[in-house]
Amino acid sequence: MFKSFFRKRNNTLTAIIFLLPSAVVFIVFVFYPILKAFRLSLFEWNNPSKEPIFIGLENYKELLSDARFMNSLKVTFTYAFSVTFISIILGLLIATILNNKNLPFKTFFRGLFFLPTVTPTIVAAMVWIILFNPTYGFINTILRNFISSPPNWFSDPDWALLTLMLLGIWRRLGFTIIIYLAALQNIPSEYYEIAQMDGANTLQTFRYVTIPQMLPTTLMLITLGLMDAFMVFDQVLITTRGGPAGVTEVVSLFLYTDAFTLFKMGKGSAISVIIFVIIMVITIIQWRLVGFGTNEDVA
Amino acid sequence: MQKNKKNINKAFLLVITISMVFLMVLPYLWMITASLKERGHVSDPPYLFPKTFDFSNYTKAWNGAPFGKYYLNTIFVAVVVVVSRILFGSLAAYVFAFIKFKGRDFIYFLYISTMMIPFYAIVIPMYLLVNDFGWLNSYQALIIPRLADAFSIMILRQSFISIPHDYIDAAKMDGASHWHILWKIVVPMSLPSVITSAIFSFLYIWNDFFWPFLVANEPELRVIQIGLQAFTGQYLTEWTYWMAGTVIASLPPVLIFIFGQKYYISGLSRTGLK
Repeated sequence: MFKSFFRKRNNTLTAIIFLLPSAVVFIVFVFYPILKAFRLSLFEWNNPSKEPIFIGLENYKELLSDARFMNSLKVTFTYAFSVTFISIILGLLIATILNNKNLPFKTFFRGLFFLPTVTPTIVAAMVWIILFNPTYGFINTILRNFISSPPNWFSDPDWALLTLMLLGIWRRLGFTIIIYLAALQNIPSEYYEIAQMDGANTLQTFRYVTIPQMLPTTLMLITLGLMDAFMVFDQVLITTRGGPAGVTEVVSLFLYTDAFTLFKMGKGSAISVIIFVIIMVITIIQWRLVGFGTNEDVA
Repeated sequence: MQKNKKNINKAFLLVITISMVFLMVLPYLWMITASLKERGHVSDPPYLFPKTFDFSNYTKAWNGAPFGKYYLNTIFVAVVVVVSRILFGSLAAYVFAFIKFKGRDFIYFLYISTMMIPFYAIVIPMYLLVNDFGWLNSYQALIIPRLADAFSIMILRQSFISIPHDYIDAAKMDGASHWHILWKIVVPMSLPSVITSAIFSFLYIWNDFFWPFLVANEPELRVIQIGLQAFTGQYLTEWTYWMAGTVIASLPPVLIFIFGQKYYISGLSRTGLK
């Protein structure tokens, strides 16, 4: 049989054998866990040595009336929307500048803009902690020359989330720039020639040619950006651990605390399911707006 | 007159771009400068370009924590994951590109949908599973769940499909097996996508934090980001050491990005432009 498989190209058998390794990984480490998360969310299980107790939708009820959890959703949404939209707006502007044919060293500049994105999150977070340290940090040392009491950044309830967003935007911008640059290069140059013939100035061309042409890319960047920003964890754990006073407690950190430091596996799973549903809604909106992302003809 | 205007335009563009680039790389510049400063003088006096070149922070950091061990651990995990993702990915991509059967597109849809499932939605059952297998604090926990990924399969399939059918038909005429066609014809003709997949997988493992933080936090098994975090916890206010540590931890991804920029960016544009 083995011999004939290699000789005769049995299609069905080949398909099964070729798909098997990846299918096993996905079934065991993605599909089984997601189903299990749904199931576990209906149980109370706070002690690994005891059996889980079925409690129906209690975990969800408890979560939805928990001010701390609702706050973590609010913080996450605020963070995700701000980081996504600001990096999209800045990204389009910078990409337009980098796309200008009069600009030298384009590839070099593009690479530098992208540097923060390839930096490990832990590294980025650590650099920012020191850079933004209220007393000894570089930023405040410089700022004190101009204002007497600069903000305390990560340890200031009014500034902590903003500082975190700044870090998020810094790391996200490179990605939006690269995607916009690739998309800008796909705009037929005739469009710009026509605009020029009609006497449009730079601003008008940007408004009436570039922006409408960038719509599909922008929609995609919004959904990808929201998904990515919604999952923010590493940098929050390193910089603020959710503080001060919960102003930066994002939902992933809430999940981590409940599931892995308090061992509330049932409640943690309910949080997982809520995260899953939110991401699915974002994904479905994307599919509706720009189509399911597997059609290589458009790529 | 016209030419003059163009030059002014160009200078203006350059000034804007450079000032923006400066803001973007400021944290980097500062990180490197701080790592070369004298111990305890992280911001006083504040300057951005290195004036002193005190490499003792690097030796202190390298000896203060087993960074060599962290490097080896991470590289070991990354190499196994990269090889397996290319191997399993090519096999799967071949089926999705060349073998037609009923339900294939649905299976492909299921594969791609794994990219949309957030890690935080499955992390608890994954942790319990790894615990049941007895893999906590072992290389298995770091490696086995990562052996295949949808992104590699997607970009490999895209590249396989674009291979002219004549090549494959000719091989079939010669009686070549699917296995032979895949490794002798299809994969060699898709090298750019293979490299892109390898770069993404390597960076993913190198920058990974949350999963190893949960399942492999023992000193012996620490991968680089966990090691870095533990290191800074140990030297709480030794910021010049910290910065040497961060430079050590970010060197490989930055080098890979610089030398593999072409492949990296083509991979990114493909996640995006579809």
